[in-house]
Amino acid sequence: MNLRLPPVRPGKLAMLGVSGALLAVLWHLGLADGPLLARGARNIGVFAQDLVPPDTSVLQTVAGAMVETIEIAFAGTMLGFAGALPLALAANDTVSGRPVAAAVRTFLALVRTIPALLWAIVFVVAVGLGAGAGVLGLAMYSMGYMGKLFADAFDDIDPEVVEAVRGVGVGRLQLARFAILPEAANAVLAQTLFVFEYNVRASSILGFVGAGGIGFYLLGYVQSLQYDALMMAILVTFAAVVVIDQASVRIRRRFLSVASHTSARS
Amino acid sequence: MRTALHSEHNHVPGATRVTPGTAIAVRDLWFAYRDAAPILRGVTFDAYAGEVTMILGESGGGKTTLLRILKGLVTPLRGEVEILGNPLKRGRMGRLDPRVAYIPQQLGLIRSQSVLTNVLTGALARTGTLRSLFGLMPAGHTREAEAILRTLGIGEKAALPVQTLSGGERQRVAIARSLMQHPTVILADEFVSQLDVVTSREIMTLARSVADQGVALVMTTHELDLAREFADRVIVLRDGAVAVDSPAREVDEAALVRAIRG
Repeated sequence: MNLRLPPVRPGKLAMLGVSGALLAVLWHLGLADGPLLARGARNIGVFAQDLVPPDTSVLQTVAGAMVETIEIAFAGTMLGFAGALPLALAANDTVSGRPVAAAVRTFLALVRTIPALLWAIVFVVAVGLGAGAGVLGLAMYSMGYMGKLFADAFDDIDPEVVEAVRGVGVGRLQLARFAILPEAANAVLAQTLFVFEYNVRASSILGFVGAGGIGFYLLGYVQSLQYDALMMAILVTFAAVVVIDQASVRIRRRFLSVASHTSARS
Repeated sequence: MRTALHSEHNHVPGATRVTPGTAIAVRDLWFAYRDAAPILRGVTFDAYAGEVTMILGESGGGKTTLLRILKGLVTPLRGEVEILGNPLKRGRMGRLDPRVAYIPQQLGLIRSQSVLTNVLTGALARTGTLRSLFGLMPAGHTREAEAILRTLGIGEKAALPVQTLSGGERQRVAIARSLMQHPTVILADEFVSQLDVVTSREIMTLARSVADQGVALVMTTHELDLAREFADRVIVLRDGAVAVDSPAREVDEAALVRAIRG
Protein backbone atom coordinates (compact mmCIF):
# COMPACT_ATOMS: atom_id res chain seq x y z
CA MET A 1 0.00 0.00 0.00
CA ASN A 2 1.42 3.32 -1.04
CA LEU A 3 0.88 6.06 1.52
CA ARG A 4 0.92 9.50 0.01
CA LEU A 5 1.95 12.10 2.56
CA PRO A 6 0.39 15.51 2.16
CA PRO A 7 2.88 17.89 0.55
CA VAL A 8 4.69 20.17 2.98
CA ARG A 9 3.85 23.75 2.10
CA PRO A 10 6.72 26.19 1.75
CA GLY A 11 5.17 28.38 4.50
CA LYS A 12 5.39 25.56 7.06
CA LEU A 13 8.95 24.77 6.04
CA ALA A 14 9.90 28.40 6.47
CA MET A 15 8.30 28.49 9.95
CA LEU A 16 10.17 25.34 10.98
CA GLY A 17 13.39 26.81 9.66
CA VAL A 18 12.91 30.12 11.50
CA SER A 19 12.00 28.33 14.76
CA GLY A 20 15.10 26.13 14.48
CA ALA A 21 17.28 29.13 13.79
CA LEU A 22 15.82 30.97 16.80
CA LEU A 23 16.54 28.04 19.14
CA ALA A 24 20.09 27.76 17.82
CA VAL A 25 20.70 31.49 18.30
CA LEU A 26 19.25 31.45 21.85
CA TRP A 27 21.50 28.51 22.71
CA HIS A 28 24.50 30.28 21.20
CA LEU A 29 23.73 33.40 23.23
CA GLY A 30 23.41 31.39 26.46
CA LEU A 31 19.68 31.85 26.88
CA ALA A 32 18.73 28.20 26.40
CA ASP A 33 19.72 27.64 30.01
CA GLY A 34 16.84 26.58 32.32
CA PRO A 35 18.54 27.30 35.70
CA LEU A 36 19.71 30.69 34.45
CA LEU A 37 16.20 31.65 33.37
CA ALA A 38 14.73 30.48 36.70
CA ARG A 39 17.28 32.56 38.62
CA GLY A 40 16.53 35.53 36.37
CA ALA A 41 12.80 35.25 37.03
CA ARG A 42 13.41 35.27 40.82
CA ASN A 43 15.64 38.35 40.50
CA ILE A 44 13.03 40.12 38.40
CA GLY A 45 10.48 39.41 41.14
CA VAL A 46 12.74 40.98 43.79
CA PHE A 47 13.48 43.92 41.50
CA ALA A 48 9.77 44.46 40.86
CA GLN A 49 9.03 44.47 44.60
CA ASP A 50 11.69 47.13 45.17
CA LEU A 51 10.25 49.36 42.44
CA VAL A 52 7.10 50.11 44.41
CA PRO A 53 6.07 52.38 45.87
CA PRO A 54 7.83 55.01 43.77
CA ASP A 55 9.99 57.44 45.74
CA THR A 56 8.12 60.76 45.48
CA SER A 57 10.93 62.63 47.20
CA VAL A 58 12.90 62.62 43.93
CA LEU A 59 9.98 63.92 41.87
CA GLN A 60 11.26 67.49 41.66
CA THR A 61 14.75 66.31 40.67
CA VAL A 62 13.59 63.93 37.95
CA ALA A 63 10.96 66.38 36.67
CA GLY A 64 13.70 68.99 36.26
CA ALA A 65 15.86 66.43 34.47
CA MET A 66 12.92 65.54 32.22
CA VAL A 67 12.51 69.20 31.26
CA GLU A 68 16.21 69.25 30.35
CA THR A 69 15.67 66.05 28.33
CA ILE A 70 12.86 67.69 26.35
CA GLU A 71 15.02 70.77 25.84
CA ILE A 72 17.83 68.57 24.50
CA ALA A 73 15.37 66.85 22.16
CA PHE A 74 13.95 70.17 20.96
CA ALA A 75 17.32 71.84 20.39
CA GLY A 76 18.75 68.69 18.78
CA THR A 77 15.76 68.40 16.45
CA MET A 78 15.87 72.05 15.42
CA LEU A 79 19.63 72.08 14.81
CA GLY A 80 19.27 68.80 12.91
CA PHE A 81 16.46 70.36 10.87
CA ALA A 82 18.64 73.36 10.01
CA GLY A 83 21.30 71.02 8.65
CA ALA A 84 18.92 68.52 7.07
CA LEU A 85 16.89 70.91 4.92
CA PRO A 86 19.72 72.27 2.74
CA LEU A 87 21.33 68.83 2.57
CA ALA A 88 18.03 67.25 1.47
CA LEU A 89 17.70 69.88 -1.27
CA ALA A 90 21.26 69.16 -2.32
CA ALA A 91 20.31 65.46 -2.43
CA ASN A 92 17.66 66.20 -5.05
CA ASP A 93 18.64 65.32 -8.63
CA THR A 94 16.80 68.25 -10.17
CA VAL A 95 18.23 70.85 -7.79
CA SER A 96 21.87 69.82 -7.74
CA GLY A 97 22.39 67.24 -10.47
CA ARG A 98 22.91 63.51 -10.12
CA PRO A 99 26.59 63.36 -9.06
CA VAL A 100 26.20 65.91 -6.26
CA ALA A 101 22.86 64.42 -5.16
CA ALA A 102 24.40 60.94 -4.98
CA ALA A 103 27.36 62.23 -2.93
CA VAL A 104 25.06 64.05 -0.47
CA ARG A 105 22.85 60.98 -0.09
CA THR A 106 25.93 58.89 0.70
CA PHE A 107 27.01 61.47 3.31
CA LEU A 108 23.55 61.41 4.91
CA ALA A 109 23.62 57.59 5.02
CA LEU A 110 27.01 57.75 6.70
CA VAL A 111 25.81 60.20 9.35
CA ARG A 112 22.73 58.04 9.96
CA THR A 113 24.79 54.90 10.40
CA ILE A 114 26.19 56.21 13.68
CA PRO A 115 23.55 56.02 16.43
CA ALA A 116 22.64 59.09 18.48
CA LEU A 117 24.27 57.60 21.59
CA LEU A 118 27.58 57.21 19.78
CA TRP A 119 27.38 60.76 18.43
CA ALA A 120 26.75 61.88 22.03
CA ILE A 121 29.93 60.09 23.16
CA VAL A 122 31.85 61.80 20.35
CA PHE A 123 30.60 65.21 21.53
CA VAL A 124 31.21 64.40 25.22
CA VAL A 125 34.83 63.90 24.16
CA ALA A 126 34.74 67.07 22.06
CA VAL A 127 32.90 69.54 24.30
CA GLY A 128 32.80 67.79 27.66
CA LEU A 129 30.05 66.34 29.84
CA GLY A 130 26.60 67.87 29.91
CA ALA A 131 23.52 68.73 27.89
CA GLY A 132 25.55 70.49 25.18
CA ALA A 133 27.06 67.19 24.08
CA GLY A 134 23.57 65.64 24.06
CA VAL A 135 22.17 68.41 21.88
CA LEU A 136 25.03 68.16 19.38
CA GLY A 137 24.90 64.36 19.29
CA LEU A 138 21.18 64.34 18.72
CA ALA A 139 21.48 67.12 16.12
CA MET A 140 23.96 65.07 14.08
CA TYR A 141 21.82 61.95 14.09
CA SER A 142 18.65 63.97 13.39
CA MET A 143 20.36 65.70 10.48
CA GLY A 144 21.14 62.35 8.86
CA TYR A 145 17.71 60.95 9.55
CA MET A 146 15.68 64.01 8.58
CA GLY A 147 17.93 64.63 5.59
CA LYS A 148 16.91 61.23 4.24
CA LEU A 149 13.20 61.73 5.06
CA PHE A 150 13.11 65.19 3.50
CA ALA A 151 15.02 64.07 0.41
CA ASP A 152 12.47 61.28 -0.10
CA ALA A 153 9.61 63.78 0.37
CA PHE A 154 11.18 66.08 -2.25
CA ASP A 155 11.48 63.16 -4.66
CA ASP A 156 7.81 62.31 -4.14
CA ILE A 157 6.30 65.65 -5.09
CA ASP A 158 4.24 65.94 -8.25
CA PRO A 159 6.75 66.05 -11.14
CA GLU A 160 4.36 68.26 -13.14
CA VAL A 161 4.74 71.02 -10.55
CA VAL A 162 8.52 70.86 -10.86
CA GLU A 163 8.32 70.83 -14.64
CA ALA A 164 5.82 73.69 -14.76
CA VAL A 165 7.99 75.89 -12.52
CA ARG A 166 11.19 74.88 -14.34
CA GLY A 167 9.35 75.81 -17.51
CA VAL A 168 9.14 79.47 -16.55
CA GLY A 169 12.93 79.62 -16.73
CA VAL A 170 13.89 79.58 -13.05
CA GLY A 171 17.27 78.74 -11.56
CA ARG A 172 17.83 75.83 -9.20
CA LEU A 173 17.46 77.82 -5.99
CA GLN A 174 14.26 79.41 -7.25
CA LEU A 175 12.97 75.95 -8.18
CA ALA A 176 13.64 74.76 -4.63
CA ARG A 177 12.06 77.86 -3.09
CA PHE A 178 8.97 78.08 -5.30
CA ALA A 179 8.15 74.48 -6.20
CA ILE A 180 9.86 71.87 -4.05
CA LEU A 181 9.63 73.43 -0.58
CA PRO A 182 5.99 74.60 -0.78
CA GLU A 183 4.86 71.28 -2.25
CA ALA A 184 6.66 69.23 0.41
CA ALA A 185 6.01 71.60 3.33
CA ASN A 186 3.36 69.47 5.02
CA ALA A 187 5.44 66.32 4.79
CA VAL A 188 8.51 68.15 6.12
CA LEU A 189 6.58 69.50 9.11
CA ALA A 190 5.03 66.12 9.88
CA GLN A 191 8.40 64.37 9.69
CA THR A 192 10.06 66.98 11.88
CA LEU A 193 7.45 66.39 14.56
CA PHE A 194 7.96 62.63 14.23
CA VAL A 195 11.71 63.05 14.71
CA PHE A 196 11.15 65.33 17.74
CA GLU A 197 8.91 62.64 19.21
CA TYR A 198 11.63 60.05 18.59
CA ASN A 199 14.30 62.36 19.99
CA VAL A 200 12.45 62.79 23.30
CA ARG A 201 12.75 59.02 23.78
CA ALA A 202 16.33 58.92 22.50
CA SER A 203 17.47 61.80 24.70
CA SER A 204 16.18 59.95 27.78
CA ILE A 205 19.23 57.71 27.64
CA LEU A 206 21.84 60.26 26.55
CA GLY A 207 22.64 60.79 30.22
CA PHE A 208 24.03 57.23 30.31
CA VAL A 209 27.10 58.62 28.59
CA GLY A 210 27.15 61.94 30.44
CA ALA A 211 25.32 63.92 27.78
CA GLY A 212 22.64 65.41 30.04
CA GLY A 213 18.99 64.77 30.72
CA ILE A 214 17.12 62.22 32.80
CA GLY A 215 19.33 59.35 31.65
CA PHE A 216 21.96 60.42 34.17
CA TYR A 217 19.47 59.79 37.00
CA LEU A 218 18.11 56.56 35.48
CA LEU A 219 21.61 55.11 35.40
CA GLY A 220 22.53 56.51 38.81
CA TYR A 221 19.46 55.01 40.51
CA VAL A 222 20.17 51.60 38.91
CA GLN A 223 23.81 51.66 39.99
CA SER A 224 22.95 52.71 43.56
CA LEU A 225 20.11 50.16 43.75
CA GLN A 226 17.55 52.94 44.43
CA TYR A 227 14.82 51.11 42.51
CA ASP A 228 11.95 53.13 44.03
CA ALA A 229 13.58 56.36 42.82
CA LEU A 230 14.19 54.66 39.47
CA MET A 231 10.46 53.91 39.29
CA MET A 232 9.67 57.59 39.85
CA ALA A 233 12.04 58.57 37.05
CA ILE A 234 10.49 55.94 34.74
CA LEU A 235 6.97 57.19 35.51
CA VAL A 236 7.94 60.81 34.78
CA THR A 237 9.63 59.74 31.52
CA PHE A 238 6.61 57.66 30.57
CA ALA A 239 4.18 60.53 31.25
CA ALA A 240 6.25 63.02 29.26
CA VAL A 241 6.70 60.63 26.32
CA VAL A 242 2.98 59.77 26.20
CA VAL A 243 1.91 63.44 26.29
CA ILE A 244 4.41 64.45 23.58
CA ASP A 245 3.58 61.38 21.45
CA GLN A 246 -0.13 62.13 21.54
CA ALA A 247 0.29 65.82 20.80
CA SER A 248 2.71 65.05 17.99
CA VAL A 249 0.48 62.38 16.46
CA ARG A 250 -2.48 64.76 16.41
CA ILE A 251 -0.51 67.60 14.84
CA ARG A 252 1.10 65.26 12.29
CA ARG A 253 -2.28 63.82 11.34
CA ARG A 254 -3.54 67.32 10.73
CA PHE A 255 -0.63 68.15 8.42
CA LEU A 256 -0.83 64.85 6.58
CA SER A 257 -4.60 65.11 6.14
CA VAL A 258 -4.14 68.59 4.69
CA ALA A 259 -1.49 67.17 2.34
CA SER A 260 -3.63 64.24 1.20
CA HIS A 261 -6.68 66.51 0.91
CA THR A 262 -4.86 68.86 -1.41
CA SER A 263 -3.50 65.96 -3.48
CA ALA A 264 -6.95 64.46 -3.80
CA ARG A 265 -8.37 67.73 -5.07
CA SER A 266 -5.74 68.25 -7.71
CA MET B 1 -16.96 82.71 -30.20
CA ARG B 2 -14.02 85.03 -30.42
CA THR B 3 -15.52 87.79 -28.39
CA ALA B 4 -14.13 87.56 -24.89
CA LEU B 5 -10.93 89.52 -25.19
CA HIS B 6 -10.57 89.92 -28.89
CA SER B 7 -9.90 93.60 -29.32
CA GLU B 8 -7.21 96.21 -28.82
CA HIS B 9 -9.21 97.48 -25.87
CA ASN B 10 -9.18 94.10 -24.19
CA HIS B 11 -5.52 93.33 -24.67
CA VAL B 12 -4.49 90.61 -22.24
CA PRO B 13 -1.60 91.90 -20.14
CA GLY B 14 1.43 89.71 -20.69
CA ALA B 15 0.38 88.46 -24.10
CA THR B 16 3.27 89.21 -26.45
CA ARG B 17 2.49 91.03 -29.64
CA VAL B 18 4.50 89.17 -32.23
CA THR B 19 4.87 89.93 -35.89
CA PRO B 20 2.75 87.42 -37.80
CA GLY B 21 4.83 84.49 -38.97
CA THR B 22 6.45 81.35 -37.68
CA ALA B 23 6.70 81.46 -33.89
CA ILE B 24 7.99 77.94 -33.42
CA ALA B 25 9.62 75.78 -36.04
CA VAL B 26 9.99 72.06 -35.41
CA ARG B 27 12.34 70.16 -37.69
CA ASP B 28 12.83 66.39 -37.98
CA LEU B 29 12.31 65.51 -34.32
CA TRP B 30 13.05 61.94 -33.34
CA PHE B 31 12.59 60.55 -29.87
CA ALA B 32 12.62 57.12 -28.19
CA TYR B 33 12.61 56.05 -24.59
CA ARG B 34 15.53 53.79 -23.76
CA ASP B 35 15.59 50.54 -25.73
CA ALA B 36 12.08 51.17 -27.09
CA ALA B 37 10.93 51.88 -30.61
CA PRO B 38 10.89 55.60 -31.52
CA ILE B 39 7.66 57.32 -30.55
CA LEU B 40 8.44 60.41 -32.61
CA ARG B 41 9.73 59.89 -36.14
CA GLY B 42 10.89 62.96 -37.98
CA VAL B 43 8.18 65.31 -36.73
CA THR B 44 8.26 68.58 -38.65
CA PHE B 45 5.81 71.46 -38.48
CA ASP B 46 5.51 75.20 -37.91
CA ALA B 47 3.20 76.98 -35.48
CA TYR B 48 2.34 80.57 -36.18
CA ALA B 49 1.97 83.66 -34.06
CA GLY B 50 -1.66 84.47 -33.40
CA GLU B 51 -2.86 80.95 -34.20
CA VAL B 52 -4.17 78.00 -32.24
CA THR B 53 -2.44 74.82 -33.39
CA MET B 54 -4.00 71.63 -32.11
CA ILE B 55 -2.11 68.36 -32.09
CA LEU B 56 -4.33 65.33 -32.32
CA GLY B 57 -3.53 61.66 -32.04
CA GLU B 58 -4.29 58.51 -30.13
CA SER B 59 -3.33 58.14 -26.46
CA GLY B 60 0.29 57.14 -26.06
CA GLY B 61 1.06 58.52 -29.49
CA GLY B 62 3.77 60.91 -28.31
CA LYS B 63 1.77 64.16 -28.03
CA THR B 64 2.86 64.90 -24.46
CA THR B 65 6.45 63.92 -25.22
CA LEU B 66 6.41 66.28 -28.19
CA LEU B 67 5.29 69.21 -26.01
CA ARG B 68 7.92 68.37 -23.38
CA ILE B 69 10.59 68.41 -26.09
CA LEU B 70 9.32 71.77 -27.35
CA LYS B 71 9.62 73.09 -23.78
CA GLY B 72 13.15 71.71 -23.47
CA LEU B 73 12.28 69.32 -20.66
CA VAL B 74 13.27 66.33 -22.79
CA THR B 75 16.11 66.12 -25.27
CA PRO B 76 15.26 64.58 -28.63
CA LEU B 77 17.47 61.98 -30.28
CA ARG B 78 17.61 64.23 -33.29
CA GLY B 79 16.05 67.38 -34.64
CA GLU B 80 15.75 71.08 -33.95
CA VAL B 81 13.29 73.46 -32.36
CA GLU B 82 13.51 77.17 -33.13
CA ILE B 83 11.66 80.02 -31.45
CA LEU B 84 11.41 83.10 -33.68
CA GLY B 85 14.35 81.76 -35.65
CA ASN B 86 16.63 81.12 -32.67
CA PRO B 87 17.39 77.69 -31.22
CA LEU B 88 15.42 76.72 -28.14
CA LYS B 89 17.54 76.85 -24.99
CA ARG B 90 17.67 73.30 -23.76
CA GLY B 91 19.41 71.45 -20.95
CA ARG B 92 18.44 69.47 -17.91
CA MET B 93 20.13 71.65 -15.35
CA GLY B 94 20.16 74.92 -17.24
CA ARG B 95 17.41 77.49 -17.20
CA LEU B 96 14.73 76.82 -19.77
CA ASP B 97 13.58 79.33 -22.35
CA PRO B 98 10.88 81.53 -20.75
CA ARG B 99 9.57 82.57 -24.16
CA VAL B 100 7.93 79.15 -24.29
CA ALA B 101 5.28 78.76 -21.61
CA TYR B 102 4.20 75.23 -20.69
CA ILE B 103 0.95 74.16 -19.06
CA PRO B 104 1.06 70.46 -18.18
CA GLN B 105 -2.06 68.31 -18.15
CA GLN B 106 -2.60 68.65 -14.38
CA LEU B 107 -1.54 72.32 -14.65
CA GLY B 108 1.44 72.03 -12.28
CA LEU B 109 0.12 74.66 -9.87
CA ILE B 110 1.41 74.83 -6.31
CA ARG B 111 -1.78 73.89 -4.50
CA SER B 112 -0.97 75.22 -1.05
CA GLN B 113 0.04 78.63 -2.38
CA SER B 114 -2.17 81.57 -3.26
CA VAL B 115 -3.38 82.31 -6.75
CA LEU B 116 -1.21 85.45 -6.85
CA THR B 117 1.93 83.58 -5.76
CA ASN B 118 1.34 80.98 -8.45
CA VAL B 119 0.90 83.66 -11.09
CA LEU B 120 3.98 85.57 -9.93
CA THR B 121 5.97 82.36 -10.39
CA GLY B 122 5.64 83.05 -14.11
CA ALA B 123 7.81 86.16 -13.74
CA LEU B 124 10.66 84.47 -11.86
CA ALA B 125 12.94 84.36 -14.90
CA ARG B 126 12.97 88.17 -14.96
CA THR B 127 13.25 88.56 -11.17
CA GLY B 128 16.61 88.61 -9.44
CA THR B 129 17.35 85.26 -7.80
CA LEU B 130 18.28 86.64 -4.37
CA ARG B 131 15.33 89.00 -4.34
CA SER B 132 12.87 86.27 -5.27
CA LEU B 133 14.31 83.86 -2.69
CA PHE B 134 13.33 86.34 0.01
CA GLY B 135 9.90 86.72 -1.55
CA LEU B 136 10.57 90.33 -2.56
CA MET B 137 8.78 90.40 -5.88
CA PRO B 138 8.89 93.75 -7.74
CA ALA B 139 5.72 95.78 -7.25
CA GLY B 140 5.39 96.07 -11.02
CA HIS B 141 5.17 92.29 -11.32
CA THR B 142 2.47 92.13 -8.67
CA ARG B 143 0.46 94.86 -10.43
CA GLU B 144 0.84 93.03 -13.73
CA ALA B 145 -0.24 89.70 -12.18
CA GLU B 146 -3.28 91.33 -10.62
CA ALA B 147 -4.20 92.94 -13.93
CA ILE B 148 -3.96 89.59 -15.73
CA LEU B 149 -6.12 87.94 -13.08
CA ARG B 150 -8.73 90.68 -13.42
CA THR B 151 -8.72 90.30 -17.19
CA LEU B 152 -9.17 86.56 -16.86
CA GLY B 153 -12.11 87.10 -14.50
CA ILE B 154 -10.57 85.86 -11.25
CA GLY B 155 -9.16 89.08 -9.84
CA GLU B 156 -11.08 88.64 -6.60
CA LYS B 157 -9.51 85.19 -6.04
CA ALA B 158 -5.92 86.43 -5.93
CA ALA B 159 -5.41 85.80 -2.22
CA LEU B 160 -7.05 82.36 -2.12
CA PRO B 161 -5.07 79.11 -2.07
CA VAL B 162 -5.26 77.34 -5.42
CA GLN B 163 -6.64 74.21 -3.77
CA THR B 164 -9.89 76.06 -3.02
CA LEU B 165 -10.60 76.92 -6.68
CA SER B 166 -12.80 75.12 -9.19
CA GLY B 167 -11.28 73.34 -12.19
CA GLY B 168 -12.06 76.21 -14.55
CA GLU B 169 -10.59 78.77 -12.18
CA ARG B 170 -7.39 76.76 -11.87
CA GLN B 171 -7.18 76.65 -15.63
CA ARG B 172 -7.32 80.47 -15.63
CA VAL B 173 -4.54 80.60 -13.02
CA ALA B 174 -2.39 78.41 -15.26
CA ILE B 175 -3.06 80.74 -18.20
CA ALA B 176 -2.23 83.75 -16.04
CA ARG B 177 1.06 82.18 -14.92
CA SER B 178 2.01 81.48 -18.53
CA LEU B 179 1.15 85.07 -19.54
CA MET B 180 3.50 86.39 -16.84
CA GLN B 181 6.29 84.81 -18.90
CA HIS B 182 5.49 87.20 -21.79
CA PRO B 183 5.47 84.13 -24.00
CA THR B 184 5.93 83.79 -27.72
CA VAL B 185 4.50 80.28 -27.55
CA ILE B 186 2.19 78.63 -25.05
CA LEU B 187 2.23 74.83 -24.97
CA ALA B 188 -0.80 73.27 -23.31
CA ASP B 189 -1.18 69.53 -22.78
CA GLU B 190 -4.75 68.18 -22.91
CA PHE B 191 -5.67 71.59 -21.63
CA VAL B 192 -9.40 71.26 -21.03
CA SER B 193 -9.79 67.50 -21.02
CA GLN B 194 -10.94 67.37 -17.41
CA LEU B 195 -13.51 70.15 -17.58
CA ASP B 196 -17.21 70.02 -18.31
CA VAL B 197 -18.37 71.08 -21.76
CA VAL B 198 -19.47 74.61 -20.81
CA THR B 199 -16.34 75.42 -18.80
CA SER B 200 -14.04 73.95 -21.43
CA ARG B 201 -15.66 76.23 -24.05
CA GLU B 202 -15.20 79.24 -21.77
CA ILE B 203 -11.55 78.42 -21.22
CA MET B 204 -10.94 77.76 -24.90
CA THR B 205 -12.57 81.09 -25.76
CA LEU B 206 -10.15 82.73 -23.37
CA ALA B 207 -7.21 80.81 -24.84
CA ARG B 208 -8.36 81.83 -28.29
CA SER B 209 -8.30 85.47 -27.19
CA VAL B 210 -4.75 85.10 -25.94
CA ALA B 211 -3.71 83.61 -29.27
CA ASP B 212 -5.47 86.39 -31.12
CA GLN B 213 -3.13 88.85 -29.47
CA GLY B 214 -0.10 87.31 -31.11
CA VAL B 215 0.85 84.26 -29.08
CA ALA B 216 1.26 80.91 -30.81
CA LEU B 217 -0.87 78.47 -28.82
CA VAL B 218 0.07 74.84 -29.36
CA MET B 219 -2.12 72.36 -27.58
CA THR B 220 -2.71 68.64 -27.60
CA THR B 221 -6.23 67.30 -27.47
CA HIS B 222 -8.24 64.24 -28.31
CA GLU B 223 -11.47 66.22 -28.68
CA LEU B 224 -12.29 66.72 -32.33
CA ASP B 225 -15.13 69.13 -31.51
CA LEU B 226 -12.70 71.52 -29.87
CA ALA B 227 -10.33 71.24 -32.77
CA ARG B 228 -13.06 72.06 -35.26
CA GLU B 229 -14.32 74.98 -33.19
CA PHE B 230 -11.13 76.64 -32.03
CA ALA B 231 -8.12 75.45 -34.05
CA ASP B 232 -6.55 77.44 -36.86
CA ARG B 233 -4.29 74.56 -37.70
CA VAL B 234 -4.48 70.84 -36.95
CA ILE B 235 -1.66 68.37 -36.81
CA VAL B 236 -2.33 64.67 -36.52
CA LEU B 237 0.36 62.40 -35.15
CA ARG B 238 0.12 58.78 -36.16
CA ASP B 239 2.79 56.19 -35.41
CA GLY B 240 5.05 59.01 -34.31
CA ALA B 241 4.92 60.89 -37.59
CA VAL B 242 2.89 63.83 -38.86
CA ALA B 243 -0.05 62.35 -40.79
CA VAL B 244 -1.89 65.66 -41.27
CA ASP B 245 -0.63 69.23 -41.09
CA SER B 246 -3.30 71.50 -42.42
CA PRO B 247 -5.33 74.62 -41.80
CA ALA B 248 -8.31 73.45 -39.74
CA ARG B 249 -10.88 74.73 -42.21
CA GLU B 250 -9.42 72.59 -44.98
CA VAL B 251 -9.90 69.25 -43.31
CA ASP B 252 -13.21 67.67 -42.29
CA GLU B 253 -13.91 65.53 -39.23
CA ALA B 254 -14.07 62.27 -41.13
CA ALA B 255 -10.64 62.90 -42.61
CA LEU B 256 -9.28 63.65 -39.15
CA VAL B 257 -10.72 60.42 -37.74
CA ARG B 258 -9.22 58.46 -40.62
CA ALA B 259 -5.86 60.13 -40.09
CA ILE B 260 -5.88 59.43 -36.35
CA ARG B 261 -6.95 55.79 -36.62
CA GLY B 262 -5.08 54.99 -39.80
